[in-house]
Amino acid sequence: MSLCQNRLQEERKQWRKDHPFGFYARPQKNAQGVLDLKSWDCGIPGKEKTIWEGGLFKLVVTFPDEYPTKPPKCKFVPPLFHPNVYPSGTVCLSILNEEEAWKPAITIKQILLGVQDLLNDPNPESPAQAEAYNMFKRDRAQYERRIKQIVRENAAP
Amino acid sequence: MDTDDDFMSNVSSEDDMIPDDSDNDISGDDDFGFDDEPDAYIDSQKEIGHKKQAAYDISFKVFQPTDIRKQQDDLIDEVNMILDISKEEAAILLRHFRWNKEKLIEDYMDRPSKVLDAAGLSQSSAGPTKLQVIPGFVCDICCEDEPGLESFALKCGHRYCVDCYRHYLSQKIRAEGEAARIQCPAENCNLIIDARSLDLLVTSDLTERYHELLHRTYVEDKETLKWCPAPDCQNAVECAVKKKDLDKVVPTVSCLCGHRFCFGCILNDHQPAPCELVKKWLKKCADDSETANWISANTKECPKCNSTIEKNGGCNHMTCRKCKHEFCWMCMGLWSEHGTSWYNCNRFEEKSGTEARDAQAKSRVSLERYLHYYNRYANHEQSARLDKDIYHKTEKKMVQLQKESGMSWIEVQYLNSASQALQTCRQTLMWTYAFAFYLARNNLTEIFEDNQKDLEMAVEALSEMFEKPITELAAPKLKVDIMDKTAYCNRRRLILLEDTAQNLAEGRWSFNIELTGSATNGGSSTRR
Repeated sequence: MSLCQNRLQEERKQWRKDHPFGFYARPQKNAQGVLDLKSWDCGIPGKEKTIWEGGLFKLVVTFPDEYPTKPPKCKFVPPLFHPNVYPSGTVCLSILNEEEAWKPAITIKQILLGVQDLLNDPNPESPAQAEAYNMFKRDRAQYERRIKQIVRENAAP
Repeated sequence: MDTDDDFMSNVSSEDDMIPDDSDNDISGDDDFGFDDEPDAYIDSQKEIGHKKQAAYDISFKVFQPTDIRKQQDDLIDEVNMILDISKEEAAILLRHFRWNKEKLIEDYMDRPSKVLDAAGLSQSSAGPTKLQVIPGFVCDICCEDEPGLESFALKCGHRYCVDCYRHYLSQKIRAEGEAARIQCPAENCNLIIDARSLDLLVTSDLTERYHELLHRTYVEDKETLKWCPAPDCQNAVECAVKKKDLDKVVPTVSCLCGHRFCFGCILNDHQPAPCELVKKWLKKCADDSETANWISANTKECPKCNSTIEKNGGCNHMTCRKCKHEFCWMCMGLWSEHGTSWYNCNRFEEKSGTEARDAQAKSRVSLERYLHYYNRYANHEQSARLDKDIYHKTEKKMVQLQKESGMSWIEVQYLNSASQALQTCRQTLMWTYAFAFYLARNNLTEIFEDNQKDLEMAVEALSEMFEKPITELAAPKLKVDIMDKTAYCNRRRLILLEDTAQNLAEGRWSFNIELTGSATNGGSSTRR
């Protein structure tokens, strides 16, 4: 079996054995009901004691054939209002960038935890969408109100 | 020195371009490159050139790949001995410090652990890394756990199977072109993989590429080193001229491969124009700012709505198609003010038209001025582009000449020197026009133009003699003439370069544009 498939199968095994509270991650099923290991549906809960607490945000993680040499692509569905999320929903994060901090030993668990950290700790050095970035920079109070509203719309069950 | 002094007092007009620093003894003079001058002609300039460093001449050194490798090895050996660390670690530290050995040693003596951390080295004294088979090992990358799986870890202990390591390294080296800073594959571990570990892991073709990349970073890391830009040339040139000095010198170097280039901007030899002017000139010639110039020279703008109008016939009574404004094409004044002097504008002194006319005249002059310089520049550039042709033509000529006149190979070499002189002089002439375009009018500029004119006339004369048919070329008289002219051209070129370089070094040129990097020119550029 290819390196990519092998690794993903093992990732899935590890995840089912143990994963952080409030998260979920499972491979998608295709039309025939067969598991597609290269595309996962994941959920990231907002961190406790932050404005994101109580929300659960859906993320689709797509793995390239070269995984784990190359990083997977993470995309919020629907796109999330956040300074480091592109209008398409794609997450901009250093550990997800091949030329930056991606290392083949980074696991799905680490990625999801990394994205969770990013929610309440945006990186103003690499803005990905204008709306959230400008509001974050200029009117923090309005930004926080907007986040709380988004959390209500995406409440964890 | 006595004879020299005597001699100089005779040539009063030239001694202002003799550099004062007589302590320079020009030891590396082999690169001077004008030894093809016949001895008979050697007088002032040759003498000066050999006794003293000429202002246009800068010292530089060419290194071949083996020299570059040896330099690195020497530095590594030295650090390895002084600091008592392995050679691989010394290399990583040196790269981290951009090969600044003194700073490395100083910092390391002060705070060894901090330096090691920052450079991506482990402080553990564990022995050399090796491939190991560890029972019960599972690779965190591929999740393989079959018994007998070979694994590898740097001193940090992050252990992965050999296949994954190999895969990771080949991705970094081949696809990303990374060599000096390949980190351990574990998240947040910044340990750098050293050369010996790499040799242990990957195949020989990758190792070769890896060392080549490392090799490249050495030259790229050092400000005083640059690769020769000629195709397929593997040499690097060392020159001490700093970026901030580029407004005072034009650091022209020539590689062992024969390519002459500017150390400051890597473009072909562009003496005497400084890099910044060259950049501006090339941009001016490349973009279509001249289209705008044409428009302003050949069209006028409606004084009311500013639409651009080209008059292609008809009388002087203009009615703007856009805003219906009526004006006189000649004086640009209101048509209603013309009274009865229709179709015959004699209101030249009228104020309403003066400004519009002034603006147009100015842009017309500026276009003509640009074209004057550009045409001459382009002409010499064209000739420079035909360099190769001239060279082949010369070779053919020399062979023919040997056949027809019975001269020996050495006796026809004068043609070769003539063709070389033509090429270098044209290259210089081409840039003198770009340089002159930016010069403000003053006495210095006049001297410069005189020098330019002398050189140009000499070059054209030589060029003409050079084109003569073989039968005439064989005549001893013409041969002597060509040799004389060749020497004269070379000498005029050196005089021109010396003059410009000196004035540049002393910030005496005034340009008609602002040069950003020229703090010293600030005062003189206002002087007109």
